[in-house]
Amino acid sequence: MEDVSPLEQYLEHCGTQFKDDLSASPQLFNPMSPYDVDLPIQVAEDVSFGSQFNQPKDLPADFSSVDLSFLPDITQDNKEQNPSKGGHEMQGGLDGSVPRNEDSGIFMEESSSSYPHATQPSPGEPGVCPPLTPMTPMTPVTPASESSGIVPQLQNIVSTVNLACKLDLKNIALHARNAEYNPKRFAAVIMRIREPRTTALIFSSGKMVCTGAKSEEQSRLAARKYARVVQKLGFPAKFLDFKIQNMVGSCDVRFPIRLEGLVLTHQQFSSYEPELFPGLIYRMVKPRIVLLIFVSGKVVLTGAKERSEIYEAFENIYPILRGFKKAS
Amino acid sequence: MAYQLYRNTTLGNSLQESLDELIQGSLNTYRFCDNVWTFVLNDVEFREVTELVKVDKVKIVACDGKNTGSNAAE
Repeated sequence: MEDVSPLEQYLEHCGTQFKDDLSASPQLFNPMSPYDVDLPIQVAEDVSFGSQFNQPKDLPADFSSVDLSFLPDITQDNKEQNPSKGGHEMQGGLDGSVPRNEDSGIFMEESSSSYPHATQPSPGEPGVCPPLTPMTPMTPVTPASESSGIVPQLQNIVSTVNLACKLDLKNIALHARNAEYNPKRFAAVIMRIREPRTTALIFSSGKMVCTGAKSEEQSRLAARKYARVVQKLGFPAKFLDFKIQNMVGSCDVRFPIRLEGLVLTHQQFSSYEPELFPGLIYRMVKPRIVLLIFVSGKVVLTGAKERSEIYEAFENIYPILRGFKKAS
Repeated sequence: MAYQLYRNTTLGNSLQESLDELIQGSLNTYRFCDNVWTFVLNDVEFREVTELVKVDKVKIVACDGKNTGSNAAE
């Protein structure tokens, strides 16, 4: 239990809700611990770090390991400060010990290999933990701030606007170009324009949805064009409450990813059913974005109301994905 | 469980097919109302074994061939 102190310092620094879990947490990093053998099972069933926030009182009593693989500095620091071994010796011990490597696999290998350079002491941990309530799960944040150098490209933007007047859909469908209206199937006119290449759903209430644009400005421009079409048909259309509802981006990390590993360590946020869908669905909490992560390394990000959320989510996930790169 | 990604597609019932045709081919406009399709095509070639007819503009009006949605005769 002498390993508690550096970890405890960090956790106190972050928030007080971890105090209940401190007794159980450090076992993961202590090669001398008699609980080593239990680790692989614990690891697989383990509640992730985020869940501690969520339900601190529901954790199992024998909670002897904690998924702190996202805290590389603490890991390294913990190892270094462990009085039973020297810092680097410990790392070597962890990497070299066969049963430990094979069993703990995902956590230890990744945390020790991904961040071999981390040397900061735990109290120097940057304030990665925003003030949190006990109910807030948090996606693991890595303190190492290397930019990925990859920028997700926006693929689709969905926006809505209120034209603020009742519309006669049949009239619109008959007189507008490139319009479809099949009231039996869907109660809106589906209209398309070439530039920007978008599709609009126009409802009789005067509300309109515009999809397919690749940027916020294009979405707004397209919506204005549709509004003008409706106006030219004789309706007193206005342009009220234009709002972007959803933004979809995609990018490529350019390396294959071990989705199985990712779903094991980030159970709280991931769902991966290859028989249902080949991508892992990662629901990031902050920002609230859903990512579809594929074995090929392609990533789709959706659910954003702003461009910055897409970028932030990708910067958050990139180091995690790096940690699950397939060794080819 | 509907994922937002898919929700966009299903909600909109909007594939970009028609628009792709617009860009690639000679489809000028299309319309669908009262189960009647109306297409306007530009620069079209009608080819038959013996003849070849080229036109600048073609209007095609098409209805459903099946009996769905329409009353059967007799």
